[in-house]
Parts: sequence; C-alpha cells; structure tokens
Amino acid sequence: MSESYLTISLNEVLFYFTRAAFGVEAPIGLSEDFARANMWISENGFDPSLCSLKALDNLDSQASSLSIKFEKTKAGGHLFCPEEKLLSSLEASSSSVDWVEINSRVSELKISNVDSPFLVVSALGANKCNGLKVVWTDQDKNQFQVNLTDNEEWEVLSSSSNPIELSSNADVLISPLEMSDKSYKGKSVKKFKLAEEKLRVLHNGVKVEENWQAIYSYFSRCLVKSSAESRASGAGAGLVDTD
Amino acid sequence: MVAFTQKIPDEMRTDRVIAEVWDATFNLFDGVPTQEDIDYLANNTPKQEGGRYRPSELALARANKSLRVFKNAVDSLSKGHQPDIDLLTSVGYLMRTSAVYGSGKFGCADRAKIADREECKAPFQMELLTVYLIRWFTIDSVEELAKERGGKKAVKLDKTTRQFIGVGNATGLGMAPFLLKHPALIHNWVVAKETALARVRSIETPIEGTLKVFLKSLLQVSQHVDEWNVEDTVQADRISCLTDEIQSLRIWCEDEFNISRPYPWNGIYQFVEDNFSLECQEMVVSLIIEPHGSLVDDLAETMSTNLIPTFNADMSLAQLKEVVEDSYQWATSIDFSLKESQHHFWYYSEDKLEPRFGSKGIDDGVEQEMPLAIGRDVSQLNKVLSSTSNDISISEFVMMYPEFRHIIRRIQNTFVRPYSEVQDNLLSESMRPLDLLRFKLAFFGASKFDPKSDLWTRISMYQGAPMPDQLSEPNHDCWSFPIAGRPQSFPCINCTCQKVI
Repeated sequence: MSESYLTISLNEVLFYFTRAAFGVEAPIGLSEDFARANMWISENGFDPSLCSLKALDNLDSQASSLSIKFEKTKAGGHLFCPEEKLLSSLEASSSSVDWVEINSRVSELKISNVDSPFLVVSALGANKCNGLKVVWTDQDKNQFQVNLTDNEEWEVLSSSSNPIELSSNADVLISPLEMSDKSYKGKSVKKFKLAEEKLRVLHNGVKVEENWQAIYSYFSRCLVKSSAESRASGAGAGLVDTD
Repeated sequence: MVAFTQKIPDEMRTDRVIAEVWDATFNLFDGVPTQEDIDYLANNTPKQEGGRYRPSELALARANKSLRVFKNAVDSLSKGHQPDIDLLTSVGYLMRTSAVYGSGKFGCADRAKIADREECKAPFQMELLTVYLIRWFTIDSVEELAKERGGKKAVKLDKTTRQFIGVGNATGLGMAPFLLKHPALIHNWVVAKETALARVRSIETPIEGTLKVFLKSLLQVSQHVDEWNVEDTVQADRISCLTDEIQSLRIWCEDEFNISRPYPWNGIYQFVEDNFSLECQEMVVSLIIEPHGSLVDDLAETMSTNLIPTFNADMSLAQLKEVVEDSYQWATSIDFSLKESQHHFWYYSEDKLEPRFGSKGIDDGVEQEMPLAIGRDVSQLNKVLSSTSNDISISEFVMMYPEFRHIIRRIQNTFVRPYSEVQDNLLSESMRPLDLLRFKLAFFGASKFDPKSDLWTRISMYQGAPMPDQLSEPNHDCWSFPIAGRPQSFPCINCTCQKVI
C-alpha cells in the first residue's frame, strides 16, 4: 500500500478509515461512524481522503476537539465545542445523526465551528437521514446547501465551483427540506443518483489520490511493531511448514 | 480461476500470513479474463497481500504443497501406479490453502457487487468455489507433472482416489476477529443450523427410508472417524471418545423400541445430548439433518445479511440498563479486576497485518489492542450506567462518554439476536482461540480438524466431493464423511441431487 494513487474497495474504506480515526485517538464507536460516512462519500464517487484527512489532522494536532455540548434553542438545538477549538466533524456528525433520529426531522439543529462540514452531510446520508437540508458558509465564504432528498438522490447547491469535500470550518444548519429549497437560481447544482453512483463504484473501485498516504499513516498507528518473540509466538504457528 | 505456480525454497514455505512466497497463487476472476487481465494478475497475484486487485477479482488465494504427499503422488503416477493410499489418507490432500480472501480485500470486488446474484446469495460462495477449484487444480497438477516426468508410463489417479483427495487449509487467528466483527451474520448461521435441527426433531413419523439411511451413516461415520488422526492430545481424546460413543449409539439404535417411537429424531437427539460428549452431539446433529435435504436446504439463503448496525439514540437509558441486565449477564458477571481476566489482548502486527494474540506485561502493543473485548467493555459500561441517572438520554450519555458508543451500538444490535455473541471472556488467561476457529470452519464444511496449537489448525475440505465432470451425475451431492479407497457416496435420500441435472 505504498502508492500515492490507487483504487481501493469500499470494504477497505471501512477497514482503513475506522483504524485511521482510532489512530488519532478517536473512540472506536466514533471511528466506526466516521468510516461509514466515508463509505457513503466513496459510494458517491468522491475521494474520501480529501475531506477526511483534514478532520484527522485537526484531531491529531488538537486543533479540533471531540468535546461537545448540547443546548436547546427556540428553533431546535445547538451543538458546540465547549473548548476554544474547532468541533471535530467526527463527533459533530455522530451527534447530529443522533439528534435527527430523536427529533423526527421537524426542527433545526445548529452545529458551530465544524471542521469538515461534508462529513456531517455524509454521516446523515450514510444513516439515511433524508428530507433534510444542510447549509453552511465556510471560512472562504463559499456557500453550500445539500438537499438530502430521499433514498434515491441528493444534490449540492453551491455559490462557487470549489469542491464541497474541501470546504472547512463553518457553522452548519440542519433543517427539514422544504419545496422552496429547490430554488436553484444563481447557484451551481450537482445532483447525485445514489444507486447509479454506487454501482459505478462497485465496478470500478474507489479512487484515492495523494492524501491516501497520510490516511494510511494514521491507520498504521494501530499496528504493533513486530519483534522476534511476537513473530515466533504471537500467531501460534511455526515459521516453516515442510510437512 | 487464474492460477500461477512457482518453485520456492523449502525453508520459505510457511502457512503463516507473514509468508512471502507460495507454491501456487490464485484469483477467481469475474468473467473471462483477457490477456491484459492475465498479464496484470501475473504481476500481482504471486505477491498476494503485496499486490493490488480490482473489482473484477472476486477472490484471492494461495496454496502450498504437502511436500511428501505431492511428491509421492507425482512419483507414483509417473511410474504407472497409484499413490500410497495410507500416506494420502494420513494427510488427505495434495496442497493446502493458507488464506482465501474475498469481500473487497486488497481491492477485490466488494460483496455488494455480487450479493444479488443467485449463486452468491448464501455467504462465502465465491470463496468456497475458489477452494473447490483449487482442489481440482491440485489434482490436475500432479497428473500433469507425472505425465511430464513419466511420459507414456504415467497414469492418472483412479476415480476413487481422485474423489477422495480434498484440499487442505491452515487457519490462524484471523478468523477469530471475523466472528466478533460480524455478529448478525454469525447469528444467522446458527439460527439456520438450529432451525434445521428443530425441523428434523419435530418430525413425528420419519420420512420413508430416512432412518435406514441414518443407521447406515453411523457405520460410515465410524470408519471415517477411524481415519481422523491428530497429534493434539485434547482433540485425540475427543476423537477416541467419539469413536466409542458412535459405537454405543449404534447399539442403542439396534433396539427397535428406541427408534420406532413417534418423533424418533428427537429421541435420538435427546439420548445423545443426555449421554454423550459435545463432539458426538454435534456429529449426530449433522447426521440427522443430512437425510433431510429437501426439508432444510432452503435455509442456506437465510445465512447471509446486509445489516449495517445502527446506533439507536432513541432508546432510553433505563431500557439500555434493562437489556444489559437481561442479555449480558455473561459479561457483567466476569470479574475483570482479576489479572487473569485481562491476561490477553488481540492485535494486528505490522508484519503484513498478521493478527496476533499477546499477553499483557509480556508483549508490546496493548495500547493498539483490537476492539474485541466485548465482555470487558460491557462490564465497564455497566458500572458507569449503574451510577448514571435515567433522566438523561442515550445521546447525552454518549456525548459524555463517547468511549461507550461502540459497545452500546453492539448491544442494541445483538440483544435481539441471541446467537450473535461469543459469550465468553476473550481476554482470559484460559482463552483458547482454537475453539472459535473450529466454530467458523465447521460452517464452511471443514472436516478432519487437526489443531496444531491453541492458536491455529489445519483442516480438510471437499474430501469425497464430486469432481466437476461428476456434477451432472445423480447422487453427486451426497459425499459427506468419505472413507479412503471406497467410492464416495453417503447414503442418499430425500435430496435434490438424486435428480440428474
């Protein structure tokens, strides 16, 4: 796995991304959610390492935190990091899915200062949280609106051509999807048909580019250095089989 | 299947994951490969984990020779006679696989690509097909090599010997994490088996001929077990006990009174459960299910799952506490404060990601422990739950304690699936991973279980199975419990394979 450009399977996305998150000391439950979100990203034709590496880097450098608080608001709820840091999208995405599950998708949820908003979208998508729109303006003033329409399609409306997967550091608002949200005037629109995209990926694999090496490096932190003793005894079998 | 062979130094021949070379390597290819595909695989397949594969590859595998059996077979056939049947019987195969990968491993096709295909609905069908084809490849290989060496003097294996030859497999720790990571799948496997058993036990009047078949099969199994010789003393004792118990069961069955009552299968099962070892109980379960193919074969399709475990944030904390108390007593009753309760840990080595079993205080790597300590994690969760008010929701609880998210999700998805958990402490000093390996291998149809330590085993597969040219013959699918030197045919009845395809 030393190449910087290769094709991987969805199962490998699950395997490596779970452990990459664990490698930056995210709890295993959040790491599993993170990997599922990355599978959804991959199933939709994106390189999962693009938006996820930033989230892992932030956790690793402690620029972001997994600490999270919830407060009720008039419109619904608010998730935020109580520390002076970015809210890690690993925690933000799992907590927002939980909130959507409980609140029957009737009110609004604001999530402050999330490092990788597209991961929140992906977690919602992976958990089939449909009938929602997710809106944010990132640190570069790019505006994004993602309409998670139903189990068959979703769409991205944006104010620029900047890739959604690279959008970072934003306050994210999740609310029920209304008919009026389908006004595309003055916006760049990209639609995704879930089944078609997934079929394409199943037949062609997931392309990962230069960031993959760094994801693999975080994954490698879960591996234990081998010693002569562990090599000899850790798997129970001998080293030569010439029966 | 695309296969590559090479000559390798004897001292580099190992069953371990850390092997670098193999006698033969394989890919099961989806469709007909082009020359370009074959060239691509030629550069990758012999490297196994070091190569990269594509969605066109459904499985990746390798096999090494059993040197003495392979050599004897080629030598004998090249001189015009059959291989030493005693030697062949003592091993059972010419080559053994040491890994068979599918489901997206190293870039191969994801399960989702093929899951809807009729022939793939039951789990692991492509991996098992690969193993079956490898068996065929090993038989063709010795015949071809003998012909090259002996020319006109060379002969082929006779039909009976050909069919008796199985394919070996060496299995290590990798199977144990698999069992833990796929609880819903494992539940479905066991439910299928238990359902099959329940259907047979509930037959009031036996289907015509089935009892006769069962009685014949007891004799065949006795002979089959006689050929099951292992060095491991624990397993050797179990086999010895099994031999005696099958004999006792045959005597018990000779009394018409015992088997002519209503629900005879249930009677046999009860007798065995009350009197004999687990080894014998499981053997008899197989034997009483075997004559009832048409009653149970539909269960194969229930053995797969596409369930993705979800976190149910809507569950109340009170409900979670109740579930832990009701369904996880096996975990909460273990005293994890004892050193021996947390003696071991499981980890992936940087050596080709080989799964290993470490001992705390002796081996490095406890910080990188695989999350397989289900019992310990439930126990820790239970302690925190007991001091937490029911007033907060589960979503609030996991915000405070994100380290419990995975185990809560697991509990939520397994408590409704009672066969999904290995209800034991996998960290215990007395833990024997071998039992987990056998459990999984049994569902693949493995036989001649031959433990080599507490951490790995060898087994045989497809011994007695029809060769591809026999698949259209009637009775082709009744080949369990083969005996060396005899035409393979388990007493067959009530089975779809009696019809010519």
